[in-house]
Amino acid sequence: MKNLNKIFFSALFFFFLNFIHSEEINRGLEIALKADDSFSGYGDSKTNLKMMLKDRKGLVTERVMEMKLLEVPEDGDKSLIVFDSPRDVRGVAVLSHAHKVGSDEQWLYLPALKRVKRVASKNRTGPFLGSEFSLEDLSFQEVEKYSYEYLRDENLDGKESHVVKRIPLDPYSGYTKQIVWISKSNSLIHQIHHFDRKSFHVKTQTFSGYKKYLNKFWRPSEIHMINHQTNKTTTLFFQDMAFNTGLSDKDFTQNSLKRSK
Amino acid sequence: MVSSFYRDFTKAFLVISLIFISSSLFSKVEKYGEVSFENRTFSEKGLFGQDKDHSSFTLSPEFYFESEDQKTSFTFKPKIRRDSLDDERNLFDIQDLSLVKVKNSYEIRIGIRRDFWGVTETVHRVDIINQTDQVESFDGEDKLGQPMINLSLERDWGVLDIYALLGFRERTFAGEKGRLRLPFLIDTDSAMYESSAENLRTDFAFRWSQSYRDLELALSHFSGTSREPEFINKSISLKIPYYGVIEQTGLEALYILGGLALKLEAISRSGQGDRFSAATAGFEYTQVGILSSRLDLGWIMEFNYDDRYQESPLALGTRLTFNDMYDSQILSGVMRNEETGETNVFVEASRRVRNCCRLSFESIYFNGGSNTNSIQKLFEYLKQDDFVRFEFIYYLGN
Repeated sequence: MKNLNKIFFSALFFFFLNFIHSEEINRGLEIALKADDSFSGYGDSKTNLKMMLKDRKGLVTERVMEMKLLEVPEDGDKSLIVFDSPRDVRGVAVLSHAHKVGSDEQWLYLPALKRVKRVASKNRTGPFLGSEFSLEDLSFQEVEKYSYEYLRDENLDGKESHVVKRIPLDPYSGYTKQIVWISKSNSLIHQIHHFDRKSFHVKTQTFSGYKKYLNKFWRPSEIHMINHQTNKTTTLFFQDMAFNTGLSDKDFTQNSLKRSK
Repeated sequence: MVSSFYRDFTKAFLVISLIFISSSLFSKVEKYGEVSFENRTFSEKGLFGQDKDHSSFTLSPEFYFESEDQKTSFTFKPKIRRDSLDDERNLFDIQDLSLVKVKNSYEIRIGIRRDFWGVTETVHRVDIINQTDQVESFDGEDKLGQPMINLSLERDWGVLDIYALLGFRERTFAGEKGRLRLPFLIDTDSAMYESSAENLRTDFAFRWSQSYRDLELALSHFSGTSREPEFINKSISLKIPYYGVIEQTGLEALYILGGLALKLEAISRSGQGDRFSAATAGFEYTQVGILSSRLDLGWIMEFNYDDRYQESPLALGTRLTFNDMYDSQILSGVMRNEETGETNVFVEASRRVRNCCRLSFESIYFNGGSNTNSIQKLFEYLKQDDFVRFEFIYYLGN
């Protein structure tokens, strides 16, 4: 009888624990879905990106590229990035078809050889063009690609924020977890802490200069990434962002990759 | 070396294009391209007493015009190369001079163009649209512009490219004084053709390709003058290239398995002796962030099969990417033929300099192997051609 009691109470305890846990998961997901609102229904967009890389000694180099995005409502979004500078990579382009379930598809265009090369999407975790961003950081972050857990509320630099933990479901992600600060007032992401495979806090990403487009879609004008291991930083500037530019599926095919300039 | 047809085609096309350009159809104009200086120093004098050292200079500006709606574009890219040692390495080529028109369900590309087919890294078996500019580099990845009309249909069932290839470009071969030359001289001025139209034959090709999530598949066929010549003896030390008419069917497959890319290229060719088949298969895998660093290490392994030979070479390559500000990388590879015992090894290191330039350093080593009984060594004539190469590229533009 005593044993039975023990089993009953421990079962109740675990049930309760699980209940709290699922509550946090639900709340985390809810916050994430709200943050994603600004990203659904945008249709398509075009923007110029400028990357400023700064090393430990303060040496600065620049990268310039153009990015096109197309929303695919039932699946992941499509993106096309074409490099403009440095000059030796001018014309190199990356086409990605993200998928809500399963690995993304990715192709690289090498203009010197006129070659389209399919690449394993696993190779998205390394530094992108020598910057502190990986292709994973730059690609579209579908809600379905993570599991969530609400952690706490916190004031971050004067902004009341929800703090949510998200765990990438992609086994090839470069991160084991990410802690995301989402503003309570407008559901915009302000900061992400990235934890690497060894669960070290390797990078901190901050978003600033949010602007509203078409009265609905909030986009940051600057994203800053600091690598805590190397003290190198990269700042990404979004310039001339435009929505409803008339892009369609046809602009995100291998043929369009071949003529991207 | 440049046929009169090619010259006339280029001129006529250039005139038509100039009319297009001047018609203010194009709202965007971009100018870029590159200037490069290269030096190769060999470990010994050549088998035929050629000099140990030579330099070359290459200029290839590129002009790109695009219409407001981005549906029409025009590209012009000539390439000029001057070599200090070998006249046959001097080149004037139109790499691109083409007009591209994009319609809703198709794309038409007319003019001189380059196009690549294939998935493998070390040997390109399926790639056949363009002639190889063999004297440019040892890897044979540099091509000559090909006049063509290419219709490309992009549908749910994949991409179908149909080509009419107008006229033929001859392969480039190192001359008498040049290094990395064959053991005989080639009289490129008296090239012979199976086709009675000689180098004016219109060849045809098509390629269907499709992506299925983790699988990329392509099937192609080429009907026309072979890019690869056979040689006819004119005298003991002088041969004439003979370009036969071939039918070549090609298959390309690439399968993504996690971080691994499995690749296959296979061809079947008839027209040059008996029908034969050849294939290259292998994989590419990248270790991201080796030893907890920023460095990536890519591995490439490719096996070859050719039913004309008993053994075909095995290739192993690595690519070390530093992921630094200068995009530094080191490529290295070994190619070994078990039948002949021959091995060739290369290492190539390169990095960006400032925003404008790139510096690379390459070394290639040929080893004849200890297998003295071998029937015929493929690289016998290259055994004194180990070299180091230095290249500085300045990229034009703003």
